[in-house]
Amino acid sequence: MKRAVSSLIISATAFCANAVNRFPKPDFSSGYEYPTHYYPVPAEPIWGIIDLVVLVSLMGVVAYSVIKRSIRRPVLWITVLSVLYFGFFREGCVCSVGSLQNIAAGVADSSVIVPIGVLLFFVLPILFTLLFGRVFCGGVCPLGAIQELVHIKSFRLSKAISTVLGLIPWFYLGFAVLFAITRSGYLICRYDPFVGIFRLGGDSVIIGFGVVLLILSLFIGRPFCRFICPYGAVLSLFSRVSFKKTEITRHGCINCDLCRNACPVDAILPPYENQIKESRSKGVQRVLLYMVVLPLLMGVGAILLRSASDTLSLVNKRVQLLELVKTGQADTQGIETVELQAFFGKGGTVEDLQKEVELVQSQFKMHSTWVGAFFGLVVGLTLLSLSLKRTRKTYTIDPAACVSCGRCFSYCPQNNLDPTSLVLNTELLKQKS
Amino acid sequence: MNIDPKLLRTIARNVAVITVLFIVIFSTMMAVNYIQTRGSLIHENEVLAQLKALSDQNSENTELFDQIRQLDLMARKAFFVNKNALTSGIVILVVLFVVLVVSLRIYYDGLKDLPDKEIDPIDDWAMKTLARKYVRWAGVGFAVVSLMFIALNMNLYSLLPGGDEKEEIAAVEAITESESAGEAAQAVPEEGVPAAEESIGGEDSVKGDSVGIAEAATATPVEVSKVTHNAFRGNNGSGHSSAKNVPVQWDVTSGKNIAWNVKIPLTGHSSPVINGNHVFITGASNQSRELYCFELSSGKLLWTAKADNIPGSPSAMPKTAHGTGLAASSVSTNGSVVCAIFATGDVMGVDMNGKRLWAKNLGVPDNHYGYASSLLMYGKTLFIQYDNTTAPAVIALDPQTGNERWRKARSGDKIAWGSPIIAQVGGKPQLVLMGLPNMTAYNPSTGEQLWKLECFSGEVGASPTAANGIIFGASEYSSVVAINATDGSLLWKAEDFLPEVSSPVATANHLYVTTSYGMLACYDVKTGKVVKEVETGGEFFSSPMIVEGKIYIMDNSGRMFIFKADAECAQIASFNTGLKGMTTPAFTDGKIVIRTETNLYCVSNPN
Repeated sequence: MKRAVSSLIISATAFCANAVNRFPKPDFSSGYEYPTHYYPVPAEPIWGIIDLVVLVSLMGVVAYSVIKRSIRRPVLWITVLSVLYFGFFREGCVCSVGSLQNIAAGVADSSVIVPIGVLLFFVLPILFTLLFGRVFCGGVCPLGAIQELVHIKSFRLSKAISTVLGLIPWFYLGFAVLFAITRSGYLICRYDPFVGIFRLGGDSVIIGFGVVLLILSLFIGRPFCRFICPYGAVLSLFSRVSFKKTEITRHGCINCDLCRNACPVDAILPPYENQIKESRSKGVQRVLLYMVVLPLLMGVGAILLRSASDTLSLVNKRVQLLELVKTGQADTQGIETVELQAFFGKGGTVEDLQKEVELVQSQFKMHSTWVGAFFGLVVGLTLLSLSLKRTRKTYTIDPAACVSCGRCFSYCPQNNLDPTSLVLNTELLKQKS
Repeated sequence: MNIDPKLLRTIARNVAVITVLFIVIFSTMMAVNYIQTRGSLIHENEVLAQLKALSDQNSENTELFDQIRQLDLMARKAFFVNKNALTSGIVILVVLFVVLVVSLRIYYDGLKDLPDKEIDPIDDWAMKTLARKYVRWAGVGFAVVSLMFIALNMNLYSLLPGGDEKEEIAAVEAITESESAGEAAQAVPEEGVPAAEESIGGEDSVKGDSVGIAEAATATPVEVSKVTHNAFRGNNGSGHSSAKNVPVQWDVTSGKNIAWNVKIPLTGHSSPVINGNHVFITGASNQSRELYCFELSSGKLLWTAKADNIPGSPSAMPKTAHGTGLAASSVSTNGSVVCAIFATGDVMGVDMNGKRLWAKNLGVPDNHYGYASSLLMYGKTLFIQYDNTTAPAVIALDPQTGNERWRKARSGDKIAWGSPIIAQVGGKPQLVLMGLPNMTAYNPSTGEQLWKLECFSGEVGASPTAANGIIFGASEYSSVVAINATDGSLLWKAEDFLPEVSSPVATANHLYVTTSYGMLACYDVKTGKVVKEVETGGEFFSSPMIVEGKIYIMDNSGRMFIFKADAECAQIASFNTGLKGMTTPAFTDGKIVIRTETNLYCVSNPN
């Protein structure tokens, strides 16, 4: 059974990793002379600097447009620019989303060197988020930008469902960090759904996933950003405490309800109207209960993931190799596979590999415990936050969810910036009334 | 120019509808085209594969080569045409998608997103209550999935009563299987200690035998030993057998301890091979080359497979010496397939029911005595030492299909008559070939040459042997050598007693050499000094086998000598079997199968 599970995981990993359809060489000599192999030269350092300049500039423009001017049009053009530059021209790498794995690996292992460019790509969006909210997500991140560009009309999901789906980025974050610090691979990069589209090639399954996300993006705002992106989850933490926050209008909300449907990510919260009466003591009891349950959830999560750590460790290439070695040794009729030939050919011994794998598995055991506790914490805090009543008199933006796209500005009748929008909003108010 | 917004929206809507239709139809067409043409991949082209198989069997047919080249080129062109079509299709789809997005944007541009029907409860608290419920269920779901992973990863044996014992048995079986695959050559016992359990083929051997048993349709089930003798000089050509309760006395004339004695239809000098209840042997005449399968329990001829109608097979038989003939090479099996080769260069694979799976001609070997190297199967590969005057080579084939896995020219080597062995060195198998003038080791998986050492002269007729990472070779008018198999360096060299045809066999401490002038010499494996020499008065072409700590060696007159496999080489028995023979006997539990010039007989221990 264990072998079956191992084989399943290894096969699944190999399937996903097998991006290239191998093409057989001709069996016969045809006189064709193969061209000399050449290797691409390292990227010019100047491009790293240009990337950083572009990143900061674009985030600055988005921040200025959204915070200072409350206008969307520049954000839309930034979106186009980001898709073209960071997406198709720079082929989606370096990206801030993936950089968190480098940082995690660098923090866990001092021998892992994190390039300064990668570090800045990780830090700068966080810094801007602390100052101005998620302006990076607004239009600078190519993954969000491509979804923004194809978005036509928002169909809202039930808040309950989107809350549950909103747990996924945290779980994804946990696994991505776990695999990064155990040197088992960079999940976020490997399964980036849009990088294949930007590079005009790659694994067909992952590109297909990206296409599905884009089709969903037509009518559901940014499904990847909301329900998958782990970096978005990190930024949502910082945006809660950002220095400046996006406002729908600076002229006072009149509770017309026009802005809420305009938000593609469902970040505009309506005024709170408590119609179901619940005694205060019952609400307090629930909060206390969840506060007690929180460490319990963390403990359960830690135990569960620690117990599953051996299975999780099968993602690691060395562990996979040991499984292959064991399978190869047990298969008396088998001849060595390419992997085993390479392993033994390089002078590898099973004993050394076994020791190496034991070390990896012990790392998995330890880190899985922490990640499991983190999962319990996420679930517990989500339950706690859903148990708190907050009074809102007007429509307000949830800073954690808002991606600073600026779609809501033109909907607000208070933002009568030009006669066209005034007429339009008057029309809308009439329709609503 | 002012366009009426309503008209623009209508146009945009119509464009969007038409684009969606195009996208659906185009996607369907592309999907159908992809499904229809995906079989055109070159490595999946059945016709091409069949033609290649034919060309493998008939290497001289240049017309066939041209056909394959043309078909290969067509298949490649078709592949790239399809690939280009797919790429163009994807580009068109992307363009259509962009048109759809733009037209929909124009359509919806005038329609602001008005607040529509609430999908959540109006009350925020009710919505949160619902969300809490969903989150709780999500948490439970995650825990259940984690538990499933944990449960699947647990060794379920440990949950069963007596699970530990079962696990231990499974572990022992796994170790036995892994050892038996390749370590027979290395599993060299100390003197007096029986060799480790061998069961190459394992389940396969039982599977193969079950057919034979069924065919025999005997009333009582036949007990089949798992100890096999899958090639010349046993598994991996080691010269060792783990057979137990092996007879030490018999007489064909009187019938003492003789289970059966049958005449072989055609003559030959190949040695018998045993796998389960099957005994394999070859015979040949100028008219026919045949592989025979006898039933071990009864001596009944179960089937005959003829090496006929093979493309490239010569119509006139090559000239061979009387002592060699056309069927001097022993067969090899893995319990599923048995492969045979003849002096014509014809090689074939036959299943355990006698059904020929494949056959091909490797080219008639240029060999003045006649081709005599035996086959060796290791795992899923058949190895052929094809040393001849014109193009010496070592060839690895897939025994199921006959397809070539790899082939290496043995440049620098000349004609030789030795057979390959598998030696386990540091846990890894080495394919070792003794040729003229080199001893060479290859990686059996890839054919990569691991090391080569020049050490022989004259005519090399014996095969190498291995023990504890040391490769031994010996040849008349040359020397006995011991080679460190990790790097191919010479450990020692001696010239005291040298074999002509008989191959040496080694234990952890001693190397035993039997010569054509009747000597049994015992060398110290560490120093190369002769520690014992025994004169028998016979003439040894057969090779010695070590079974149950005893050396079995039969001289050309049919006299069997049994010595203790130690430094003293004390003679345990010496008797005339009654029939002449030069082949090496095959061993299994309680039985020995011996080929003589005309007969095949089985010695069975009554106990």
